[in-house]
Amino acid sequence: MLIGFNFSRRAGRARFFPPLPCPSFGAATPPPLNAQRSALLCITTTATKHSRPFVNQTPPHRFSSEPVPSPPVQFDPFNPTEEHTHLRTTVRAFVEKEVDPQALAFNRREEFNLPLFRKLGELGLLGLSVPAEYGGSGMDATAVAIAHEELSAADPAFCLAYLAHSLLFVNNLAQNGSHAQKSKYLPAACAGTAVGGMCMSEPGAGTDVLGMGTAATKASDGSHYILNGAKMWITNGTVDGQSTGDVYLVYAKTGQAAKDVSMFLVEKGSPGFRLGQKLEDKLGMRASMTAELVFDDCRVPVENLVGKEDGAAACMMRNLEIERVGLAAMSVGLARRCVEIMNAYAKERKAFGQPLNAFGQVQRHVAESYAEYMAGRAYLYYVANQLDLSSSGNGLDADGVKLYCAKMGKEVADRAIQVLGGYGYVGEYQVERLWRDAKLLEIGGGTNEAHHKNMVRDLRKHHERLL
Amino acid sequence: MRILVGVKRVIDYAVKVRVAADKKGVELNNVKHSMNPFCEIAVEEAVRLKEKKFATEIVAVSVGTKQAQETLRTALAMGVDRGIHVETALRADQELQPLAVAKMLAKLVDKEKAGLVILGKQSIDGDNAQTAPMLAALLGWPQATFAAGVEPVDENKALKVERETDTGSEVLKVNLPAVLSTDLRLNTPRYATIPNIMKAKKKPMELLSPEKLGVDVTPKTSVVSMAEPGKRKAGIMVESVDELLDKLKNEAKVL
Repeated sequence: MLIGFNFSRRAGRARFFPPLPCPSFGAATPPPLNAQRSALLCITTTATKHSRPFVNQTPPHRFSSEPVPSPPVQFDPFNPTEEHTHLRTTVRAFVEKEVDPQALAFNRREEFNLPLFRKLGELGLLGLSVPAEYGGSGMDATAVAIAHEELSAADPAFCLAYLAHSLLFVNNLAQNGSHAQKSKYLPAACAGTAVGGMCMSEPGAGTDVLGMGTAATKASDGSHYILNGAKMWITNGTVDGQSTGDVYLVYAKTGQAAKDVSMFLVEKGSPGFRLGQKLEDKLGMRASMTAELVFDDCRVPVENLVGKEDGAAACMMRNLEIERVGLAAMSVGLARRCVEIMNAYAKERKAFGQPLNAFGQVQRHVAESYAEYMAGRAYLYYVANQLDLSSSGNGLDADGVKLYCAKMGKEVADRAIQVLGGYGYVGEYQVERLWRDAKLLEIGGGTNEAHHKNMVRDLRKHHERLL
Repeated sequence: MRILVGVKRVIDYAVKVRVAADKKGVELNNVKHSMNPFCEIAVEEAVRLKEKKFATEIVAVSVGTKQAQETLRTALAMGVDRGIHVETALRADQELQPLAVAKMLAKLVDKEKAGLVILGKQSIDGDNAQTAPMLAALLGWPQATFAAGVEPVDENKALKVERETDTGSEVLKVNLPAVLSTDLRLNTPRYATIPNIMKAKKKPMELLSPEKLGVDVTPKTSVVSMAEPGKRKAGIMVESVDELLDKLKNEAKVL
């Protein structure tokens, strides 16, 4: 009776190997006095061991039950508070049990897993950055990065649908909406009973977003706006392939100047609002639905204007910052999984009588991937830990972290396929899917070229000398 | 009615443990730890009993190093009302032994005036399965170990407990106060929701030590040495059913 138990709730798909330990964890001895210096980047303190003044002293008696003075807690940039650690362990346990097992099938069928999405609502992930009064969890940008990183390790496509809902709709409305709008829409969105998204890009306007053609004009009686135009590449634009999703934040021109953009809440079933087409044959991200949405004299009540008329450009720029942090976190998450998979495979698989990881060519793939993954992760949490969700003007590093991490994720996934050889090229071993998914992160939420443009604009203007 | 629940921080069930270099135990450093799975089941059962209005308050206790507070926070996030951390530097898998833990729990039952104690049937590190029976003996309370079903009866003055034994399922009625230990099939623990993780931060946690409780925790046994299990040898292929039968009969001697 005491053996052979099977912890059913947690008995998800077997992990390839235990999570890579952060070297500063679990140090049983008090850290040396100069540990503070090395704490930020989570570097081991072995190099400084010789300077420790008490290294030769007799250790306290092992069986003393006196509480030993705890070593000063080193700052962990990836989990700055206990709540962040708790969030990460909770999401990871959920992901291993619930997200990993469904990923292959839903991506193959190009289907959105709505029941699983609703479970994210039960956990409190859909309204992660929303105050409790609107049904959210009241957490911060770092928590957003953690949730995206963990979900994306298993299923970037599902995570993309989560991002479109929780950041592009939910967080956007939480930051920019009125109390009445938030009270009306956020509780259902946080619970997952309504699936939302955001409409910015158009068939003819992507990076050149302020060149959008969708326009809103106020009706003569002032009771509503009339929207005309089409929006493209809308994640969660449909859930079932037949109709639109439940509710969207839609950007439209309300004036002649480039920045005369306003934001509207448009609900499913609004007169003149319809699904244009469900987009098929995407390279990756196949378990998230992408659509074109069409507005034909679409009537939107005036109370659905979010913020001020012509005032949405700032909202758009602010929300793009957290969106880019979320997308960078997705790259980091999928890169972690790729490193785990290639490392485990290189250890097990033999060629010429030796494990693959005995060969320098493979060592280079694994080691460079790990180093780049950690560099991306450090940049990600550096940005996330400082990002106040209500602020704006953090564009340089929000662009920068996504620019770096998207490329990093794609290249790490590519090396994972290379290490696995033929097995890497087929779906069952996951890295093939992660490789396809990784490419989207160089396009969605800002192309690499958009990041280049924005960053050089900021660097030219504000950052002649770097700190 | 106040329920006391024990929660222990152990090496995560999914970790492949390694024997430490000094051969005195398994490696604990840089290894993922989490709440003992049977303790999670105990917490879940306590929370369900509170949801059924059987209990009014749940107190979780963890004995262990500072990091045991993380485990207590998990329990608080799952719905426990407050925590008690008894800090000790002893290795929880070897040096912190069931009798010492049972004695400390007995003191806390007294201090908290608990009417029911729920513990995991065993922790997956030491695998002793002794703490709950020892606690019941120290308190002079009835016990129902390996519980696979719990139901309040007699106007909440007793519990009907289904327990799994090697010979089948047994149903007991235990009068309260009592000690329960939970088996795997009792329930499926919930995930702590994110809002509850945030609320857990604000729930009270009392800090105690074995000295303050007046309990001597000196271990009664010590580990002399620990070794990895022997490596399993590769199997062989047999040519025919006859050869298989022959080997089972004459080599393995199982037929």
